[in-house]
Order: sequence, then C-alpha cells, then structure tokens
Amino acid sequence: MSNSHMFLPSGFIRTPLQNGLGRYIPQLQRITLKFCKNHGGSRGVRDFIESDLMEFAKTNPGTVVYLKPRRHRSPCMVAEYLNGEREYLSCHEFSRDEVHKWLSYMCTRSGIPVMRFRKYQHTDYPTVQGVWNPFTHQAPEINIAEFPHEVLSRPLDHGPTATEQLIEIFKKTQIEDPANKPPEL
Amino acid sequence: MLITRVLFNRAPKADNFWKRRRVFKLTAHYRGRKRNCYSIAIKYLHRALVYVKKGRKLKKKDAIELWQQRISAGCRELGSSYEALVRGMARCQIALDKKTLANLAIWEPRTFKSLTQIAAAKLRQEPIKGLNDISPPPAGVITRGML
Repeated sequence: MSNSHMFLPSGFIRTPLQNGLGRYIPQLQRITLKFCKNHGGSRGVRDFIESDLMEFAKTNPGTVVYLKPRRHRSPCMVAEYLNGEREYLSCHEFSRDEVHKWLSYMCTRSGIPVMRFRKYQHTDYPTVQGVWNPFTHQAPEINIAEFPHEVLSRPLDHGPTATEQLIEIFKKTQIEDPANKPPEL
Repeated sequence: MLITRVLFNRAPKADNFWKRRRVFKLTAHYRGRKRNCYSIAIKYLHRALVYVKKGRKLKKKDAIELWQQRISAGCRELGSSYEALVRGMARCQIALDKKTLANLAIWEPRTFKSLTQIAAAKLRQEPIKGLNDISPPPAGVITRGML
C-alpha cells in the first residue's frame, strides 16, 4: 500500500553527528514531568516519582529532570532534545509502569522526528574508487590531444576504409625483392 | 422474556461504523467525496488495492530491467557486452547479482572494469559459439591457460 494515508514525512535514516560511531551520547536534554498532587489521573506519575525517578535520574546523568506540580492539570511529560525538538506526551491515567516505559522510550530517541525510512542503510562515503563519470574509462591522452585527431576523431567501430583495404590487397600482391630482404642472422 | 426468538438469530448485526472506518483510514489522502463517502470510497479503494497487488511484481520487474540496462551500458563502454559479462562470470563461478553489478558499475567503476576483463579472458579460453567479442585482449589479466 502507498504510505500516503499515514501522513508521515519520509526520509533517510540518520543520526545527529554520527552518534554511536565513537561514544554514544544520549540525545535527551531535559524531561519535564507535570502532574497534580491530588487528582486521580496523576496517580501513576506520582507513584513513579516516589519510587523509580531517583534511579532513572542516576542512570541518565546527562538528562535534567524537572518536576512541575500544578493543581487541577492533567499529567504530561515534555522531552526536549539536543537538536531543539520537543516531544509532548499526555500521561493521564497512566500506570507507574507505563510512565517508566514511555520515559525510557523518550531517552532512547534522538530529536529527529518520527518518519518513514525510505532505506535502512546510509553512508556518507558511498564510493572508494570515485563515482563513475564519462571520463573514468577514457585514456588521459585526450586531455592534451588536439582535435581533429587522426586516431581519436575516428568513429569507434569503424573498420578499415575502402582505400586502406585496397592498400592491403596491393601489398599482398607484391613479390618480395630479395635485395630488399634483411640479411638472415 | 421469550428467549426462543432471540436464539433464532444466527449472528449479531454488524456495526457498520467500524467496517467503514477501516476503509476511511486507507482513503484519508483522497480528494473530495472519495475520502468521506463510503459507497464512493470503496470503489476507489478496491482499485487501489488491485494496483498494489499488481505493483508488487512490476516493481521487481522494473528494478531488474533498470539494473540490466545499467550493466549493459557499463559493459558496452568497456567494449564488452552484458551477455559476455554474465556468461563469463558464470564460468568463473563469480556469483554477483544484477543489483550489485549495477552498483559497482556506478560507484566502483574500476572493480567493474576488472570483472569485465576477467569474463573476457575466460571467454577467450573457452569461447561460446555465437558470442562475438568486440574488444582486443585485455591487458593485465593472467589466466591459468597462459601459465
């Protein structure tokens, strides 16, 4: 099926600054958890904060965690990435496990928007020998040749001309003069 | 309550909303009434699904044809031919597919040239009847027959 019905942008797979080639740098810059201290919809988030948040913060030292307790607001999390992208997720009526899983999902993402990958391979250096160009397999002599050239200006599969054929026939009919023959060693 | 009449029902009445929703999810990118009116959308969706099925085979066929054309062009530039390359490579037991060969012809032209030369040398040793070789003997290729 064509993917137009999904309304997803498409692109080629990439990482910011070849992340992972040398050292892997988690791309999540800061995560903001907004929740209500009383309302039932924030229960999962509150449970998560009480139990798992410290462990999460210790395992992700590069990520800043902000907590915003706001009354009468439904809970949400906003993830901000090193390339400036923001991800909003509503955590209303989430369980503690769900919050934890979505948070770890945000951690593993880079800020590149969700898109359909056209190919799952990418290389910045597709060629080692140099891309083909019309001069790749040409002799370098054409650079200094002056045109019209006796040999290079000819068509490729020309074959001998009628004049040349006649000359060849004439040479074959010639009787060898013993005087002209080189002396045998 | 009279249960017997209810027991006569063979299947519950289907909810059309969900059936139509399945269709509208796939026609979301269409224009006009084709997008939102079920009886119109279903006709166009059926056509689209038929084309999807046909297209799967056509895509493969088109790709193979394109690769073959590119390999042939690359060979002819080097004085060989597609048939000579493929048959020579088969006799040397070099099993590279068309996709790889086409990519080599574009991105690694020297490797492609050496493959044509290997195939030509092999065919010189074991000529195939009906296959004319156009080029002169390639320089820089040493075969077992020469040693």
